[in-house]
Amino acid sequence: MDLTRQEQGRLLDCLLEMGDLLLDCGAEIGRVEDTLSRMGHAYGAEQMNVFVIPSLISVSMSFPDTEAITETRRIHSFGNTDFCRLEKINAMSRQCSTAPLPLDELRARLDKVAHGRKPFSMVFWGSVLGGGGFAVFFGGDLWDGLVAAVFAAVVCLLQRRLGRTQLGVVASNLMVSLVIGLGVGLVAELIPALHMDKILIGDIMLLIPGLAMTNAIRNTLLGNTISGVVRLAESLIWAAALAGGFMVALVIVGLLP
Amino acid sequence: MKPALIQLLTAFLSSLGFSMVFGLRRRFLAYAALGGLLCWGVYLGMDAWTHMEFLSCLLASSFAVVYAELLARLLKTPATLFVVPAILPLVPGGSLYYTMENVVHGRLEAARSYGQQTLIVALAIAAGISFVVALRELRARR
Repeated sequence: MDLTRQEQGRLLDCLLEMGDLLLDCGAEIGRVEDTLSRMGHAYGAEQMNVFVIPSLISVSMSFPDTEAITETRRIHSFGNTDFCRLEKINAMSRQCSTAPLPLDELRARLDKVAHGRKPFSMVFWGSVLGGGGFAVFFGGDLWDGLVAAVFAAVVCLLQRRLGRTQLGVVASNLMVSLVIGLGVGLVAELIPALHMDKILIGDIMLLIPGLAMTNAIRNTLLGNTISGVVRLAESLIWAAALAGGFMVALVIVGLLP
Repeated sequence: MKPALIQLLTAFLSSLGFSMVFGLRRRFLAYAALGGLLCWGVYLGMDAWTHMEFLSCLLASSFAVVYAELLARLLKTPATLFVVPAILPLVPGGSLYYTMENVVHGRLEAARSYGQQTLIVALAIAAGISFVVALRELRARR
């Protein structure tokens, strides 16, 4: 496929958009770099230099007989894990590697993916099931599971509300864990038969950056040191914020008569 | 019911819940939830056999990746979709919580021991995943 200079620029825009979407919906760094390089080669680029870290994508591509073009994009969005999007973009890139889509269609499909969101009801009921399930998994009884499920719903609603504000992940984790810690602490104080620790563990699982942490160590072990270390630091800070909120809540609940 | 059975059942339900939170497509939900159950089953089996938490976690997370890679081939999707829900039951939420609780109550010795356990498990999960991914890369590059 021979592209004019202008078309090369449009392709580059599409690639950056694609990388942005991939990072946002939870793809590993390696996958983003890999996908963008493949895409570029599929459209006839001779050399692709793709560099991705959690907050930046830089793509430099050169076609035969022309000067290389380079663009970078600052990434702000992060952490809206969405496997449906991930899958769609993956399918798109697979398709392009066998038969590249026309640029207009590529753009249109990317826009469609960017505007499609996972249904909130699914996230809500998933949180309820996940939080309740893990409370029982870690040794709570049925009642602990039910209370954890109720508070998981609160977590989900709070996260949605805070996600619309300018608060970062750190501040919102701090707030959510404080509210949940206080709520569960009070309920457990009123109904002594409940196990406060099990309920909180179930709801922590919803907030814990365990996956980010695992991914970070994985990135580091597989050679993406910069991204691995950045992500690890990020997830440790989130965990600290989470712990901070819960600790304050535990202290306050401990002061109750 | 025996605790192991309850754990397997709730591992299935929790993995299902989280797959929903992550927006997994409806027709893949059952596979993802089954991954959580099987992964925890491998962990329980290995733990009963070897009594070594690090090794059991490592093997269970390796298993999760193999399971996910196989499904990915079969269903033509990225493997991440199934890795993440499958390893969830291994994530050390419990020991993280007890670390915090012990810090609040000033029991630093207990906090240190729980903290250490949290880190060891996180490392074991990551090592297990990386191990299989590295093996796959070796095959692919040959």
